Amino acid sequence: MIWQNYQLDSSVLKVTEGLTLWQVEKGKVDISKDSLAVPIKLGNRLEGYVFHGQGGLLLDTIIETEEGAIGKPIEKELDESFLMLGNTEKIQQYLEPASKDKIREMKYENEQSFVTEAKDLLDRFLGNGRIHKHQCWSYNRGSIFAFPNKANKFDILIGNGSKIVYKAINTVFVSSDKNVVLKTPDEVILARNKKPFIIRKQFFP
Amino acid sequence: MKIKKVKIELSEEIKEEMKKLREEVARLKEQLEDVTDREGRKSRGIFIDIGNAHEYVEDVMESVAEGIHGELHKCILIGPGGVRIAKKERLPLGEGEAEVSFPKAAEVMSALGHEYRLRILKELVSGGKYVNELQEKLSEITSSTLSSHLKVLEEAGLVVQEKVRGRYLITIPGRTAYKMTTRITRFLERGSHE
Repeated sequence: MIWQNYQLDSSVLKVTEGLTLWQVEKGKVDISKDSLAVPIKLGNRLEGYVFHGQGGLLLDTIIETEEGAIGKPIEKELDESFLMLGNTEKIQQYLEPASKDKIREMKYENEQSFVTEAKDLLDRFLGNGRIHKHQCWSYNRGSIFAFPNKANKFDILIGNGSKIVYKAINTVFVSSDKNVVLKTPDEVILARNKKPFIIRKQFFP
Repeated sequence: MKIKKVKIELSEEIKEEMKKLREEVARLKEQLEDVTDREGRKSRGIFIDIGNAHEYVEDVMESVAEGIHGELHKCILIGPGGVRIAKKERLPLGEGEAEVSFPKAAEVMSALGHEYRLRILKELVSGGKYVNELQEKLSEITSSTLSSHLKVLEEAGLVVQEKVRGRYLITIPGRTAYKMTTRITRFLERGSHE
């Protein structure tokens, strides 16, 4: 089968305790207790979740160079639904079915209204939801997060071991062990082994 | 206009030389076919075994890249100022001073105006440090005082804290400011002795 469909499970789950979904030296994604989650499946295989609740993204988009550090950390509150594809093994044990009351507490009328919102998010992320089998995400490629942004698109975070790719409205950050690239509206910084190459719009002596 | 045909008689010596050359070309062609047949790559052209040459090429490229970086590093293009792509001409010294934000300048100078904060910057010049490492180095400062000094430096943009690991790093402006402070101090100290 060349084309495959990511599909949402109809069950709505809740997070039983504060949970770190992804963490490396430079970044972290957390989700708080009582947040809601809908599993994303590819056939029978669990591939990820759509979460909704209180969460946080921390990303140290800072480049250490021989001349000093450049960049600022990104701190973002995650209070809208977002999507995660990747290793779900550790997450599963912190999820249990959500009661109707819990769903209402999160401002959804019922299970279906949250699933509908989650489906809309998944469809926007994948286009029409159908994806070529070679494009399917797999565990060994790390985790991918998609956070809706104010431009009605997605801020994308991909983490695989110490390698990070982050693309937001005004920022692109790519980091591996030795090489880092940071693009902001004002500058582009490339650094290798702490040696920077900086292209900046505004010059200051 | 008529063109005259001229017949050139080649000497026996030249004829012999040309014959040898033709034979040499034919021999080389045979050798080439042998090689391409043996490697089964006739349809893709000549196969040349470069052995470890690719590693050598990579090494050369690496050293060239390092060289270019080193050269660029020496010039003004790299450094706190970055690459200048401003459309306007750079103003002569003194003319652009009105554009400087004095409140910001005062904030930066105020951040530098404390012995402990200068000592924190000095510790960070050698690399990023966690609060406990700074505390060890500056043992006479209490942890709350250290935190408040770090906050002042951070607000002035002279240091930045990693949110995940919690380390403090000196920024490019921080390093420049620290360097300028030490230079001015040395200059003044020298002046007072004269």
